[in-house]
Amino acid sequence: MTFTRLNDRQLDALKEISNIGMGHAATALSQLIGETVHLRVPKVTVTDIARVPDLLGGAEKVVAGITLRILGDARGDILLIFPRDSARLLLSRLLGQAGTGAEMDEMGASTLKEVGNILASAYLSALGSLLHMTLIPSIPMLAHDMAGAVVDYVLIELSMRGDMALMVETEFHGDNPREEAIKGHFFLLPDHRSLDIILDAVGGGA
Amino acid sequence: MSGRERVGISEFRVARAPVVLVTYGLGSCLGIALYDPDSRLGGLAHTLLPRSRPDIVETRQTKFVDRSIHLMVEELLRLGGEKERITARIVGGANMFEPLHGSATVGIGERNAQTARLTLQSLGIELLAEDVGGAHGRTVEFDLASGDVRVRTVSRPASDLVL
Repeated sequence: MTFTRLNDRQLDALKEISNIGMGHAATALSQLIGETVHLRVPKVTVTDIARVPDLLGGAEKVVAGITLRILGDARGDILLIFPRDSARLLLSRLLGQAGTGAEMDEMGASTLKEVGNILASAYLSALGSLLHMTLIPSIPMLAHDMAGAVVDYVLIELSMRGDMALMVETEFHGDNPREEAIKGHFFLLPDHRSLDIILDAVGGGA
Repeated sequence: MSGRERVGISEFRVARAPVVLVTYGLGSCLGIALYDPDSRLGGLAHTLLPRSRPDIVETRQTKFVDRSIHLMVEELLRLGGEKERITARIVGGANMFEPLHGSATVGIGERNAQTARLTLQSLGIELLAEDVGGAHGRTVEFDLASGDVRVRTVSRPASDLVL
C-alpha cells in the first residue's frame, strides 16, 4: 500500500479509529488536568515528508515534542506536540506552584513525558482493542526545540521507504474559562507496512 | 526579505550572491553548504539519509547526503564554479532524543555527518568548518555575498554562530 492510493473509505476508517483512540486519550488528559478536553475532528493528511514541519506550524516554531514508537502488531510513531505556552500551562496545572518555570527542568521534563505516556497508552489500548491487536508504546522521549528538528527523526525513518508521510492529526484543547486554553496536537504516523495491517484489521483493506 | 531562498527538507538549491539560502529546523538532518568564493556561487542542501541505495532508486536522490553533494557540485560547475575553489561546511546531524533501543535512527545524525566528510574527501573538497552533533535543532542562513554560514539555535537565540 502506498499512502497516495488510499480511498475515501480507508481515509474514513483511519479517522474513525483515531477519533476513538483520541477520545480515550482525551478522557485521560481531562482527568489529569481537571477540565473538559475538547477534540477537533481528526485530519488525515497524505503529504510529502518535506511539508510535515509546515503542517506542525512551521519548522522553526519552538515546541515541546513528545514522541513514542509504536511497538507490537503494527509499527509507527506517535508524536505529541505542545506549543511552548501550552506546555508551560500544562506543567503549572499539573505541578501547581512547582510547575512555574519547570519547562526545562527534570521535573518538568519527566512530567511531560508521563503525559505523553498516558495519552499514547490510552490511545493505543483503544486502538488495539478495536483492531484486535497488541499495540504498546515505547518509552517516551522529549525535546524542547524547533518543530522541524523535533520531527525530523520520524521523517528520516519514513524516508527510508519513500517520500510520503501519512499523518492522522487530532487537535485538542482544554476549556478552563479563567485561563488560556491548553492546546496540543496528537499525530499518528504509521509506517508503510503497518498501514496495510491497520487497514486490513479495520476492514478497509484494498 | 528579498533574496532569501528557502531550502526544504530533501532539497538543495544553488544560487549566486546576493541570495541568502536558508534552511530551517535541522535535527538529525544534515545541512551542507558548498561555496565558491570567487564566483560567489553557493549551494545549500537539507539531507535526511547518509547514502543512496541501489534498491531505492525510485525515490528522490536529493534526500541523500552523498548524492546531494555530487549533484550540487555538478550544478555549481555548470554555472561557472571551479572545483578547486569549492569549500564545504556542514551543520546539523544532532541526536535530538536519548537513543532508543532498537531504532534504526540511532546515530543517524552522526552517520550523516560522517558520510558528508567522506564524500567531500573523495571529491577533494575541503571541509572548512562544521557544527554538528549535540541534542539541539539548528537553522542555517548561508549568505552568498559574504560566504558566511550562520547557525541559529533555540538555546542561543541572540548570538548566531558564524562558520
